[in-house]
Amino acid sequence: MSPGDADSTAVQAKTSQGWQWMMPNIAVGAFILAMIALVWMLQKHEFDQQMATLARDVQWAEQTLRLHMQSDQEFLQELAHEAPIGQSGAANFQARATQYLAINPHLSNILWVDAGKIIRHAARLEAGDWSAGKSLAPKEPEHGFVAARDSGRPVYGNAHLNDLAGPSLELFVPINRGASFLGTMVAAYPVSGMLRHLVPAWFSEKYHLSFTGTGDQLLAESSGARPRDDGLNYSVNFDPPGNGMRLHVAAYRTEAGLAKTLPIVLIVGLSLLVAWSLWSLRNNLARRIRAEDALRAESNFRKAMEESMPTGMRAIDMHGRITYVNAAFCNMVGLAQEELIGATAPFPYWIPGDAAEQGRALQQALAGEAPRGGIESRFRRNDGDVFDVRIYEAPLVDSGGRQAGWMASIHDITEQRRARAELEISHQRFVTVLDGLDAAIYVADLEADEILFANKAFKNIYGYDTVGRNCWQVTSACHPDPARFMAHARRLAPHQTPRELHDTELQNTLNGHWYQLRERAIQWVDGRVVRMETATDITDRMNMEELNNQQLERLQQTSRLITMGEMASSLAHELNQPLAAIANYNMGCVNRLQANDYRPEELLAAMQKASAQAERAGKIIRRVRDFVKKSEPNRGAVGIAEVIEEVIGFAEIEARKAGVRISVSVPPELPATYADKIMIEQVVLNLVKNGIEAMHDTPRSERELAISARANGEDFIEVKVADRGHGVLAEQTEKLFAPFYTTKPEGMGMGLNICRSIIEFHQGRLWATANSGGGTVFSFTLPLHPR
Amino acid sequence: MTEPRVHIVDDDEAMRDSLKWLLESSGLKVELYRSAEAFLQAWDNSFCGCLVLDVRMPGMNGLDLYERLRARASTLPVIFITGHGDVPMAVAALKKGAADFIEKPFNDQDMLRLVETCMKQDRAAAAKRAEDASVAQRLDRLTQREREVLGLIVGGKLNKQIADALGISIKTVEVHRSRVMEKMGAASVAELVQLVLKSQR
Repeated sequence: MSPGDADSTAVQAKTSQGWQWMMPNIAVGAFILAMIALVWMLQKHEFDQQMATLARDVQWAEQTLRLHMQSDQEFLQELAHEAPIGQSGAANFQARATQYLAINPHLSNILWVDAGKIIRHAARLEAGDWSAGKSLAPKEPEHGFVAARDSGRPVYGNAHLNDLAGPSLELFVPINRGASFLGTMVAAYPVSGMLRHLVPAWFSEKYHLSFTGTGDQLLAESSGARPRDDGLNYSVNFDPPGNGMRLHVAAYRTEAGLAKTLPIVLIVGLSLLVAWSLWSLRNNLARRIRAEDALRAESNFRKAMEESMPTGMRAIDMHGRITYVNAAFCNMVGLAQEELIGATAPFPYWIPGDAAEQGRALQQALAGEAPRGGIESRFRRNDGDVFDVRIYEAPLVDSGGRQAGWMASIHDITEQRRARAELEISHQRFVTVLDGLDAAIYVADLEADEILFANKAFKNIYGYDTVGRNCWQVTSACHPDPARFMAHARRLAPHQTPRELHDTELQNTLNGHWYQLRERAIQWVDGRVVRMETATDITDRMNMEELNNQQLERLQQTSRLITMGEMASSLAHELNQPLAAIANYNMGCVNRLQANDYRPEELLAAMQKASAQAERAGKIIRRVRDFVKKSEPNRGAVGIAEVIEEVIGFAEIEARKAGVRISVSVPPELPATYADKIMIEQVVLNLVKNGIEAMHDTPRSERELAISARANGEDFIEVKVADRGHGVLAEQTEKLFAPFYTTKPEGMGMGLNICRSIIEFHQGRLWATANSGGGTVFSFTLPLHPR
Repeated sequence: MTEPRVHIVDDDEAMRDSLKWLLESSGLKVELYRSAEAFLQAWDNSFCGCLVLDVRMPGMNGLDLYERLRARASTLPVIFITGHGDVPMAVAALKKGAADFIEKPFNDQDMLRLVETCMKQDRAAAAKRAEDASVAQRLDRLTQREREVLGLIVGGKLNKQIADALGISIKTVEVHRSRVMEKMGAASVAELVQLVLKSQR
């Protein structure tokens, strides 16, 4: 099975799992819902039944009450009928009423009231207000009385609060003789008494009964204990007989609760249990699937590993029969798996002539005596090629812990051998190349300064026994000062290499050659940081440079002479000035002396003036001589202000004649430069002369040459010579510096070229830019004098 | 007329001062100017003597100044002092009529001689200019007829020929002739001819 198949199967399994799991989930859910519905229906059914029972009981109770009251009414009608019969009537009333009261405890009293509302007789004598001779209390009873008198029929009064007996209700039955109204018979019902005596005890135990009057005011109740909930109750109108009265009945909850809730609890509990077990089953299954997946992945991984491995695997049982070969092994020997499995010695891949040797090795392996480092052998491919292998044997143990055979891993080492041979050759090439270099190279340890490697060029200089010796001793004739290295090589970590340490030019004190020495920290073959020095013989280059310098100097000399030549006329004029003045002073004196017409102080002043002029001439000559004098470049501290001053001394004659103003701006605190004064003077003079000449066609009022200097960074100063002349096109600015390029009819075109050479000799730069106000700015930089 | 002086224009102070010292030793009066512009400002037509002028100067140079002066009809003789290499300039100046040039460094005797020559020339020129002016004045006094007669006299005609030519009597010619001689201040015909020639030059 390919890994892709495994993947898709896993995906399928996962989706079918989802479906599989949905069914039980739905089933359990539906089951639980059904259970809940069932319980609810049962509950409802029972409630409905209870309600029906209640309604029935209530109607029965009401009937009972009504029947009693009906019979009371009939009794009173009887009494009313008998009443008017004289004294005997009264005795009769007393006897009958008292007897009636005795068997009907729900009645509190029976009265005979005459038409004047005076109580004539009361069956119960001790009954407070209602004793014979008293007037019927006003209000409610009176209302009933009036109603009974007016209608001539028995009437129930309104239920009212009697001061003595609590809420009570009266029945008025009129006593009529013919058309005349003689009074009423009154039966008094205490409402609570009705509930206590007219309703059977079992009913009161089962239900809570209560009467309410008009306005839902509670008149009486069967017991103070009310049902905990009013869910199961019923009420009926008790009107008549009671005006506006209602009978309320509420069932006491029977304590059958446990029996009722138990099934619910059981159902819910069992449902939870089912859900939980389903969930844990699912978890368990998921774990198993995961484990299966992991196992499959692991097995795929191993299989892939086995197949991708270039190492051949071959297992033999304890009898030397091949039980397993992997794909790599099959490839190696060019035989199919089927051809190999089951084969015994001599194996088909053995070299026929070598079989005895290989057989011995096999026996050794079977005996468990194969060397741990493996043995080298040669196998033959099916196509006849022979290749080198290295075989490692390891015991193969089955699941029972018993050794089932030997597993051998077989490495094709033909390539390794070839690589080793190539390495050998490449090492030789490397050595040949290094030895072929004319640069001397050596590598030294940083701890002991021991030379680890030296090439032939190095050995040619320092001897053939240098490797292993102290590098500083060996190279004492020509080595740089380690204190000047850019980095402390010993502190460098391997990852910080390779790193440049030093680059210098030195002369070997023994053979006089010049070398460029480059020191580098590199990582040596064993991982430590070492120092490599490359010494390139630059004697020829140095000689060449010297030659170039000499040439430059000669050129410069020539250029100075050319400059002087170009300036000769103005210099001659300048020199003539003091000479002529001297001659004049002198002859003026001579004439006066000859004429004997003089004053001594006059002569004295004239002669002093003459000598001042002689001095002036001398200065001019010295300046010219200094300028033209050939001298070695002699660099030192040179103040640029001084240079500019001297140059202006030269150029001002020409500037004056050309009508050019020269302005100078040099900050007084500007540090000295490291330069050859005469050379720099020449450069500035050249630039100033060029500037003056460039302004030949500029209007006289604008002929201004501005010389300025300022610091440029920390290590340089920058000098600018800005003219307001015809200017130079941007693309020509570089051409200006080319040799023999000139814009002047009589120029040689060497001036700026030499200027640039001089400035570059000083590690500075010379360039030209356009002046923003017209004209050209020549700028150059010079390094500061190191302090 | 102002006193003749040597006017020196040079930008170099030592040069000016020393020249003054030299020229004064020969008894010459010297006036110094630091630049061409300064001189031009001070100049008027009455300047006489000579002008010693440095060719190379900042601002207006010697040649420029010379041109300006000529444009203003100055008759002041000019000596150019030239430096090395300025010879072509000086030659150009000479061609324009400058008196002379002297190259630095110069021999003081040469310089003195040159200055004195120039001063003399200037004086002579001044005298001649004065004489010319008087002849012209005399000629102006003649009438039209007298001038015609003078022309014929100078042409070497005899009285008779003059009378014929003008259609007048010999007597009248003689009267005119004597008046011309008188007015021109000439003692003889030869002198008269000389005066007329001078005025015509």
